[in-house]
Amino acid sequence: MPQLRLFYRLMVRPLLHEPIRLGLTILAVALGVAVVLAIDLAGDAAAGSFRSSMETLTGGNDLEVVAAGGVPESLVATLAVQPYQLSLSPRMEDFAVNTVTNETVPLIGLDLIGEGNYALQNSLQINQPSSEPSGEESLVMLEDPQSIWVSPHLGKGVGEHLALLVNDKVLDCVVRGVLPEKSVNEDVVLMDIAGAQRALGRFGHVDRILIKLPPGANVDQWQKRLGNILPAGVEVRPQGTGTQGNRKMLAAFRWNLRLLSYIALVVGAFLIYNTISVSVVRRRNEIGILRALGASRGQVFASFLGEAACLGLVGAVAGLLLGRIMANGAVKLMSATVEALYVSSRPGVIALTSYSVALAMLVGAGVAIVSALSPAGEAMQVPPSDAMALGRREYVARLRQGGDLVIALLLAVAGALAAAMPSVGGKPLFGYLATVLLIVAAAYAIPALANFIAGSIGRTLGKLLGVEVLLASRGLAASLRRTSVLVGALATAVAMMVSVGIMVGSFRQTVVNWMASQLPADLYLRPAGNPAADRHPTISLELAERIAALPGVEGVERLRAYEISYEGMPVTLASLDLRVLRPNRNTDFFSGRPTNEVLAELRGKNNVVVSEPFAYKHKLKAGDIIRLALGTERVAFRIVDINYDYASERGYILIDRGILLNFLPDPTPTNLAVFLANGTDPEHVRREIQQVAAGYRILIFSNRDLRREAVRIFDRTFAITYALEAVAVLVAVMGVAGALIAMVIDRRKELGLLRFLGASSEQIRTMILVEAGLLGLLASLAGFVLGYFLSLILVFVINKQSFGWTIRFHWPVAVLLGALSVVYAATLISGLYPARVALRINWLEVLHEE
Amino acid sequence: MGMAILSLQSVRKEYVTDGQCVLALDGVTLDVAEGEFAALVGRSGCGKSTLLHLAGAMDFPSTGTVLIEGKPTSGMNDQEQTELRRTKIGFVFQSFQLLHTLTVQENVELPLLLANKSGARDTALERLHWVELDGLGARYPHQLSGGQMQRVAIARALAQSPRIVLADEPTGNLDSTTGNGILNLLLRLTRERKTATIMATHSLEAAAVCDTLVRLRDGHIEDITRR
Repeated sequence: MPQLRLFYRLMVRPLLHEPIRLGLTILAVALGVAVVLAIDLAGDAAAGSFRSSMETLTGGNDLEVVAAGGVPESLVATLAVQPYQLSLSPRMEDFAVNTVTNETVPLIGLDLIGEGNYALQNSLQINQPSSEPSGEESLVMLEDPQSIWVSPHLGKGVGEHLALLVNDKVLDCVVRGVLPEKSVNEDVVLMDIAGAQRALGRFGHVDRILIKLPPGANVDQWQKRLGNILPAGVEVRPQGTGTQGNRKMLAAFRWNLRLLSYIALVVGAFLIYNTISVSVVRRRNEIGILRALGASRGQVFASFLGEAACLGLVGAVAGLLLGRIMANGAVKLMSATVEALYVSSRPGVIALTSYSVALAMLVGAGVAIVSALSPAGEAMQVPPSDAMALGRREYVARLRQGGDLVIALLLAVAGALAAAMPSVGGKPLFGYLATVLLIVAAAYAIPALANFIAGSIGRTLGKLLGVEVLLASRGLAASLRRTSVLVGALATAVAMMVSVGIMVGSFRQTVVNWMASQLPADLYLRPAGNPAADRHPTISLELAERIAALPGVEGVERLRAYEISYEGMPVTLASLDLRVLRPNRNTDFFSGRPTNEVLAELRGKNNVVVSEPFAYKHKLKAGDIIRLALGTERVAFRIVDINYDYASERGYILIDRGILLNFLPDPTPTNLAVFLANGTDPEHVRREIQQVAAGYRILIFSNRDLRREAVRIFDRTFAITYALEAVAVLVAVMGVAGALIAMVIDRRKELGLLRFLGASSEQIRTMILVEAGLLGLLASLAGFVLGYFLSLILVFVINKQSFGWTIRFHWPVAVLLGALSVVYAATLISGLYPARVALRINWLEVLHEE
Repeated sequence: MGMAILSLQSVRKEYVTDGQCVLALDGVTLDVAEGEFAALVGRSGCGKSTLLHLAGAMDFPSTGTVLIEGKPTSGMNDQEQTELRRTKIGFVFQSFQLLHTLTVQENVELPLLLANKSGARDTALERLHWVELDGLGARYPHQLSGGQMQRVAIARALAQSPRIVLADEPTGNLDSTTGNGILNLLLRLTRERKTATIMATHSLEAAAVCDTLVRLRDGHIEDITRR
């Protein structure tokens, strides 16, 4: 096809003559696409398709019955005697830790001998030991909390032992059977329900009752019907509702990560714009010739869009492969965050679906084409008379700096207004819009900044620092259009780095300051195992009492946490022993009142304190009444105050332990806070505790250890954010390198002339490096200012509206200085190869080119 | 005329381009003295530009010797060549080759700044005075006429008070009146500054102002006429 042949000769082949620059541009697009794809793939996998590990082996059920603190066993009988054809499956659900691999696995107790599970028992084809046990022996074996059935992935065979940490004790379990692969696709440990109750120390209650309705039943009607039969505090809901609640919690997290992943793509868009602009500038003469020979404006326009599309498509294909690889790392980082902050879930398989492929191609090619629209539009305006303009080497950009500054100001004002708007459906959509508006405003303002710094103060810099600086600054000012785009690209990446750095630094400092006042005890204990937002293993009561009796221990507070649901979203209900109000407790309440004054209002009353994220999500304030389903009752509580709390995005409801025991009578604590008598050596007491706790698996943290651990978890949750920033900066720096190569090639006559005039190789190299350095300086300056304003939006708008936290602004000076230095150094290094290219120019030849 | 500042002795220059061997100069012998204005005349491709490049130590002979102030240029390392270009040689191009990002004064200062010389501003102003462009130092090249731009280029070439000035078709882009003005300027400065000026031109009219006419043909010197 002649058109394609022409396209190849005129547009594609010239690209191949600059393989390094072409490679850098494609790689920039590829990285942008890869990051977007990786975050998307990892998000689906890390959240396990938003499936909690507890949804294992639940298939085929319609409704579930749940209650805070567990559903009384007697309700199973209540449901069983109903004159309906219901299939009931009561379950115990918790987690155990494989002590060999330290991996946490779901521990599920099913009624393996109940009639309702006869079919289950058969379908699992549970392997029996070679010698058939008697019926009584089978019963004993099933009820033994050390009899387990495991998924094949745990790598254990029948008769083998598996040591599992359950709460604070290690059970030496015996594998009685291995589940067939087809029935379960993730790790799980099964017990008989009675054995599970004994292992978990939770008698008289089950964690969930799954219900299979008769065929054709209307789920909503049955939900109401069964709800009327059961006590007020017990909830009947569609099976998997818990998953829906977690899905909502995770939505904001995933959205914010997606936004960050798009930044690399935005930077890539700048670079495509620059590449096509350079192409138009260089080929202005050629375009004139083509027009003189009969090419239409539309053909010229399409050619440059086609060039961009080629770059975008090739970049997208490379990005697809790169993104799939990056998703492996991303899923690990995201899984850790999901588990720490939201829900225990196993990462699912990373699935490169046709949707993912289409997304990558659309994003890569789409962004490239959109970025090329403006330069392609300019190309089609080139008149045929430009074919005659042999002497014209430079295209003077029509820069309307005054007009651009006005647009920048208007966009900035629009951004400020958008930032002041409330969230939409719980999402900070206007906050996102504000960030986009500010980035575009900066893009319009950068030419004026670049002109001022490079052009106006170039002479002063030259006098101070030498002729290389003068030439470099004038060179940048002369190619302002190109310079502005490069600075814009790098500034966007720097701004992202600065804004996220300030946000994380502010958050971190807020958390550190908060913890300083939140941890009044000397030592803290919890069961060993991997912590997670929705797991609250317990400590044996006798251990707590033994610790309380140790010399030097003034008091032990027993803290208990439960996962409950409020208005369809998970929340942690935490109880505090308020029999003794410790003097050095210092919580930050909205009212500003002293801590013990507020806590005194909880003692013995149906009053609660809620955390800020909880209050924000549910639009609550002090004085409001909330109804909580506790045990079999629905109880009204008055909110006496709201506290600033950063422990969990799920939110906390704090209640007096004594009141909670009225409804949820399990006295075992999930954490112990140990207060020592004055003058007692904490290390000595720690050793004593370790002695009395021999045979239990618990972790002991000093006040300082706990803070350090909390900060470590905090830092880990932002690991993926840092990775995204690094990619954006890398894309920008590569773009700078590619663009500098292009600028060197386009200014080869000037460089050749300088050699004629006596410039040494060193001076030429210095000049190119100074240009890179000036670009880096401009970008760092612009990026820093933009980043500051973006950080305000991140801290006070996006974060607040997404998660409900109040973060106090803080400048992480050392981090910012370090990061900006690294970016600046990288920009300088990016000038090294273009400097080499400049030195390889045959200056005799170039000066005689006509 | 004074002593020979530039001396080419049996110089031969071959290039290999796309696998083809091109003989640009063959057995060229030429001396140019201080204060002498020599014109290289011949058609395109006769070797004028090659001879200029050899004379300016921008390139080196395949065989033979090029001496500048008695010193051979072959065997010089990059640093020595750079030093030579900074201090001994000035170059004037057909298409002026001014940096459009610098003012007139800054263009003239440029060789001095590259050589890290002090007093660049005063020297540049003096050179602009030599070429009768006082008061235009703050302008940019695109604000000047062709003749003015070439004068700036000449001022720049003389910034370091070179011993040799090489001019490659300096009037090629100018009208005849302006071109004559440039040629007279070059002649005057050659005499005043006692430089050895070598001009490549295909115009016999332009060559008429010169002291020495060197006719080149196919890389050979056909004849040398000294007035």
